[in-house]
Amino acid sequence: MRLPSPDLCQRHEEAGNCSVFGEECGWGQTSVVWRDRIARARRVAGEIFYGATVYDWVRGLRRQRGEVEHLFVLITFGDLIGLPVLPPYYTLRLLPYVVPQINRWKRSLLRERDWTDLAELIEGVD
Amino acid sequence: MNTIVILIIAAAALFLGYGVYARSIDRGIVEPDAKKACPAKMYMDGVDFMPASRNVLFGYQFKSIAALGPITGPIAAVAWGWLPALVWIILGTFFIGWVQDYGAMIMGVRRDGDTLGALSYKLISPRARSILMLFLYFYLLLIMGSFGNLVGKNLMARPVVPFGMIAVTLAGILAGQMTYKWKKDIILTSVVTVVLSFVGIYLSTLPAISSIFTNLYGGAKSPVLFLSVTRAQFIGTLLVLLFCYLGSVLPIWSWAQPVNFVSFFIIALGMLGGVLGMLIWHPSMGDFPAFTTWTIGTGPLWPMLFVTIACGAISGWHSLVSTSGTARQLECETDALPVGGGAMFLEMVLAVISLLTATAAMGGLAGYQEVLKSGAALGVFAEGLARFLEKIGIPKTFGVAYGSVFLTIMGLTIMQLAVRFMRVASAELLGDKVPVMKNVHVGTIVALILTAIFVWVIPWLTIWTAFGGANQLMAGLALLLIALWLKSEGRKNAWALYPSYFMLVTTFAALILLAMNQFKAMGVAKTTEARTAALLVGVIAVVLLAAAAFLIFDGIKALGKKQPAKKTT
Repeated sequence: MRLPSPDLCQRHEEAGNCSVFGEECGWGQTSVVWRDRIARARRVAGEIFYGATVYDWVRGLRRQRGEVEHLFVLITFGDLIGLPVLPPYYTLRLLPYVVPQINRWKRSLLRERDWTDLAELIEGVD
Repeated sequence: MNTIVILIIAAAALFLGYGVYARSIDRGIVEPDAKKACPAKMYMDGVDFMPASRNVLFGYQFKSIAALGPITGPIAAVAWGWLPALVWIILGTFFIGWVQDYGAMIMGVRRDGDTLGALSYKLISPRARSILMLFLYFYLLLIMGSFGNLVGKNLMARPVVPFGMIAVTLAGILAGQMTYKWKKDIILTSVVTVVLSFVGIYLSTLPAISSIFTNLYGGAKSPVLFLSVTRAQFIGTLLVLLFCYLGSVLPIWSWAQPVNFVSFFIIALGMLGGVLGMLIWHPSMGDFPAFTTWTIGTGPLWPMLFVTIACGAISGWHSLVSTSGTARQLECETDALPVGGGAMFLEMVLAVISLLTATAAMGGLAGYQEVLKSGAALGVFAEGLARFLEKIGIPKTFGVAYGSVFLTIMGLTIMQLAVRFMRVASAELLGDKVPVMKNVHVGTIVALILTAIFVWVIPWLTIWTAFGGANQLMAGLALLLIALWLKSEGRKNAWALYPSYFMLVTTFAALILLAMNQFKAMGVAKTTEARTAALLVGVIAVVLLAAAAFLIFDGIKALGKKQPAKKTT
């Protein structure tokens, strides 16, 4: 594989589209491969960093929002699990807004839990 | 031997362990299917079940499993010599550690995101779950005792530490306010709070600041207040308990989460600096012996070494995090190995670095023993880290303060969440019979009183060994559970079953030895303090042994009963 010097190869950054060596421009291909690798490494490092820092906050916020949403569905559609709180008239008015959440709310609410569910909250315990 | 050679050995173990052994088991036995829907997608509720990229989960898993354990264990264990500690860290991770983390994770994925409690109920017996809960409470109590001892009685009792610690905490609170109340950019928040933390740590090294605490502690040689607790240790422990109290009762967004966030930067930068310093300096082991003696103060090499180094080689806690946390977030089954196995192998590297900090950085056995005498295991790490940081131009006085704050915050961030957990657990357990336990303040104060007793009465190394025993017993049980699950799926399970037998036998022996030593010590103890400490640890060891015996009995019975089923993938 020929490796042209940058001053000879004007378009070496685009693989296979080099003005001097055409598709055989190895320099350009190598450059693109490395650029991709560096971009991927940066993305991976960024995601790992995010996972070790902010992700936990994001999960905490998600958890808070989820709990409030679940509470709302419980108040409005508690009769689905035998807990009527609101009269059916208001429940029916709210139904279109709550439908997308009902399945996951029921699954989440009725899922059996124990202390081990809380274990993940204590990160880095040992 | 040079530190670089040891790091190369660790890297080779990582390559062979992860790249060859773990991968062959993953592909040949577990056979993950990238196309199969995981619980994170099937049951996505936006709270517990939520898919995330494997890179994000790798960072999350590593942060969740790596704390003081992989740092403290190797430092205490090099008293047998650096070679046994190194061999156990590497072989323990190679054959057992990753097996448990990965096995628990993939088991959680294949069993609809069930936690370890639910899995032990379904795979072992109904009472297995209740026993596991008992385990968990004792485990957390031992964590509080051992970490509280290290942080409150040792690190916070040093006049250069409390101010730095308070500065990091205030920076954490500021981070919470900036993010949640003032809606500031996260990068700006991170930069401001981390810089403030470093300024605080620097100020803590100034004589004008440290002398405030020296005076508060009653001079350079702090007077004894009660038992063998000095005024410095008493005040240090009270500060720790106050921190934990606030962490337990305040909303998690305003205290625990932002303090943890700022702490991450302090810890990550410290580790990075330490590794850089180590690579630049690359000292040899000096006169630190590869092997000292078969039996040291805590007991013989087998079984005590294997419970002294828990996290870093294998830790039962990881199985809980892997099932209840990470398994519910995996996007696909093939992510389990890089996330579960990869994080465990990286933790092995952290444990090796910690071992090198205690040995090579100390300049030999005499240096290690001298520092160990003055400040327990964490003092060794702070001193070693400071010596490595010195090689990249950071003054040693700042390095020691930084290392101490680094470790203090590492311990405290965990303790505050453990108290939170204990408060919830006691409300669940006793709330119906003793309604007052449902009160957040009462539950927290009860947990903190128990912690204070453990911290002030029990010697550090004794409580650390009991903690290691509880941890490793849980690891043995998790491995047994994985073996049961593999059998129920009709897959080969020797790679999990034999490590499980090894862990159970070793930990049983360690706990029996610990209990015997404590009851023997009770007879010859001259003070009430020593007698109480021996009684407490002895009783805990017996309770753990009894609980484990029931679990193992049920587990082995279940192992005999289960018929291989058709593979599900």
